[in-house]
Amino acid sequence: MANQAKTHKIKMMEEQLAKKLNRQVVGSLVGCVHCGMCDESCHYVLAFPDDHKMTPSYKADQVRKLFKANHDWTGSVFPWWVGADKVPLSDDDLETLKDIAFGTCTNCRRCTLSCPMGVDTATLNRIMRGLLSHVGVMPEGVRVVSKDQWEIGNQMGVLKEDYIDTIEWMSEELEEDLGHAEATIPMEKKGAKIMYCINPREVKYDPRTIKEAALIFWAAGEDWTMPDEGWDNTNFGLFSGDDGLGGACAKREYEKARELGVDKIVISECGHGFRSTRFEGVNWAGESEPVPMESSVMTMLNYVREGKIKVDPTKNPEKMTFHDSCNNARSGGFFEEPRELLNLVAMDFQEMYPNRAEGFCCTGGGGAMSMSEYTPRRLESAKIKADQIRATGAKVVVTSCHNCVDGLNDLIKHYKLDCEVKQLVNLVANALVLDEVEKPVEEVAVPEEITVKPVAEAEPLAGRKILVVDDEEDVRTFLITVFEDAGAEVISAADGNEAIAMAREHLPDLISLDLSMPGKDGVETFVELRSTAETEEIPVCVVTGHPEFRQVIYDRPVPPPEGYLGKPVDEDKLVAYASHILEHRNEKAN
Amino acid sequence: MVERKIGDKNLRLVREDITEMEVDAFVFDITEDVKLGSGFGAAIQQRGGIVIQKELDEIGGCPTGEAVVTEAGILKADWIIHANGPKFREEDEEGKLRKTVQSALARAEEKGVKRLAFPPMGTGLYQVPLDLCSRVMVKTISDHLAEGGTLEEVLIAAPDNREFDPFKAQIQEGA
Ligand code: SF4
Ligand code: SF4
Repeated sequence: MANQAKTHKIKMMEEQLAKKLNRQVVGSLVGCVHCGMCDESCHYVLAFPDDHKMTPSYKADQVRKLFKANHDWTGSVFPWWVGADKVPLSDDDLETLKDIAFGTCTNCRRCTLSCPMGVDTATLNRIMRGLLSHVGVMPEGVRVVSKDQWEIGNQMGVLKEDYIDTIEWMSEELEEDLGHAEATIPMEKKGAKIMYCINPREVKYDPRTIKEAALIFWAAGEDWTMPDEGWDNTNFGLFSGDDGLGGACAKREYEKARELGVDKIVISECGHGFRSTRFEGVNWAGESEPVPMESSVMTMLNYVREGKIKVDPTKNPEKMTFHDSCNNARSGGFFEEPRELLNLVAMDFQEMYPNRAEGFCCTGGGGAMSMSEYTPRRLESAKIKADQIRATGAKVVVTSCHNCVDGLNDLIKHYKLDCEVKQLVNLVANALVLDEVEKPVEEVAVPEEITVKPVAEAEPLAGRKILVVDDEEDVRTFLITVFEDAGAEVISAADGNEAIAMAREHLPDLISLDLSMPGKDGVETFVELRSTAETEEIPVCVVTGHPEFRQVIYDRPVPPPEGYLGKPVDEDKLVAYASHILEHRNEKAN
Repeated sequence: MVERKIGDKNLRLVREDITEMEVDAFVFDITEDVKLGSGFGAAIQQRGGIVIQKELDEIGGCPTGEAVVTEAGILKADWIIHANGPKFREEDEEGKLRKTVQSALARAEEKGVKRLAFPPMGTGLYQVPLDLCSRVMVKTISDHLAEGGTLEEVLIAAPDNREFDPFKAQIQEGA
């Protein structure tokens, strides 16, 4: 060993590593013979074939070096032979390790399948992430999101009042859609059979998935509830390698389920949320008798199998393929049930190859969506997935994971694929036939076919001034027309500088902002609006379709936007979102 | 109720969201660059208004172990005491944590605060071990209350059992 003294951080990491060693981990640490059989399994190797630093064994060797230098006699005696570090790591080396552990591996575990020695590289990579985060070395997005989950209780920093407000909003919409006073979203209902936990992305950026799930529960006559706390099924501890955070997140769900006295927790379609809540969280939290848990895919499938809901697959006629979330499939063994459900609710399903346990990562796994500094590399590594999707000729990629939705949407845009992403909850809600279903309250008439659309008010935006910012003229014209038809006074800008000047001069009630513009882009414009006295309080609805948006959500240079819509924009959704943001703002002001 | 009486003063453990508490002041574990950031920092900005970050920007910084004060915008509290506790297993965690808690208490006394709330300092993202944190915080606050001053009640807000239980054990141990 070397004469150079170890730094305090390195000592802390070594101390922490000792706590992570168990038989499985040690097996992976000592088992690798560097045969290279796993190389081609990795989407990073396929995208960067000449870069040996992308190979699974190189990534895992970073933990091995630490292990061998400190916990294996061979490393102490023959460091040169086993690849242990002769010189202790310096604090500067930790930045390089950070880029390897967070920026070149999505912990997808695909390489594990190809290893004859049973080496689990993803587990080792997660350990390296955990050692680094323990001493504060992590991408900014990971730090921001982890702190939100530790302190606010969910990974997107959704405040309790905003969560309750969104659930009430969806509940009111459901009631209006169905014209049924009992078609609401129950909150904190003690003794309900099911507690439904969701991904905060649903609250913040895709609340209609909550309404769709509520519609399905209602149609099935389910006795269910949403909790007011402990509702986040995601778990950044899985990504950051912090088992403490992992246990804390999972425990909040388990304890809430016990407090409400429910029979089981149903986990909405989120791959890592399912793995963390259903499997890993039980160990991290030291639960001896966890509450039963299931994926909402199972719940929906059972409703169809048992005849509790009726579905009409002809309502989903497009050609569809299915993307397996790595956490659901490879790590959870959850392959056939989503396919069975998909075949029940859609007409034309085309398998993507490879699939199931062998499917490639969407490249947004392992928390990659929160690390904007690695986006270009991530998108390059997504080529293999893009090629496979294109080969199916599908118009819709179905997946059972919110993270995969974002990952797939990014790669679809980057590789200009002609398709969109949907989840099973979208398809089941769309295929639902309510006329022959036994209703919880018989006397109430329900429309024969339910379309999940907000009820249109004549001019819901009357008296409001809206600034539309978009560099594309046709999009701008479309947005202006939609807002004007809804009664708003609309002004517009074609670039960032113009937007800032107009916002200052006209002080609009709401700004609809594109994030991808030449010159001063939308992210800079947004940060400037938020940091300028006159404009800081103006609510912003981001209308975009680009990965830049992740930077705003995850790096959080300023408080996040009030709303988000992906392109192409749905007219009704846009007006409903804008009205909701403005109403919510008024309530807060009062 | 989990509490410890120290003369006519009180140290009490509660399960509340610290940024919503009706106290004269609460403590926020800030970083050296005095950016509120995410977590409780995001709740402070969204519930209290961005004037708080503006005031912090004027202050400019806060070394480890020290504390600075701002007003609390439209939050229920009057003041926020931004105290920079030890983070990510840095050296002399215990000494730095004690000093941070003492600095926060001193700033509170300077403002004539009667009711002050603390979070468990640094036990989440910042990796301060819970046993060390609960021991040092309960002892430092108790010692301070025993010395007199304007503070009448200090609350520790621990919403999760993970934090609540070790603090409860520490408070009851010396009660
Ligand atoms: S876990 Fe996935 S991303 Fe990481 S090295 Fe293995 S195949 Fe590559
Ligand atoms: S992890 Fe397994 S397959 Fe990959 S190089 Fe090592 S021994 Fe070979």
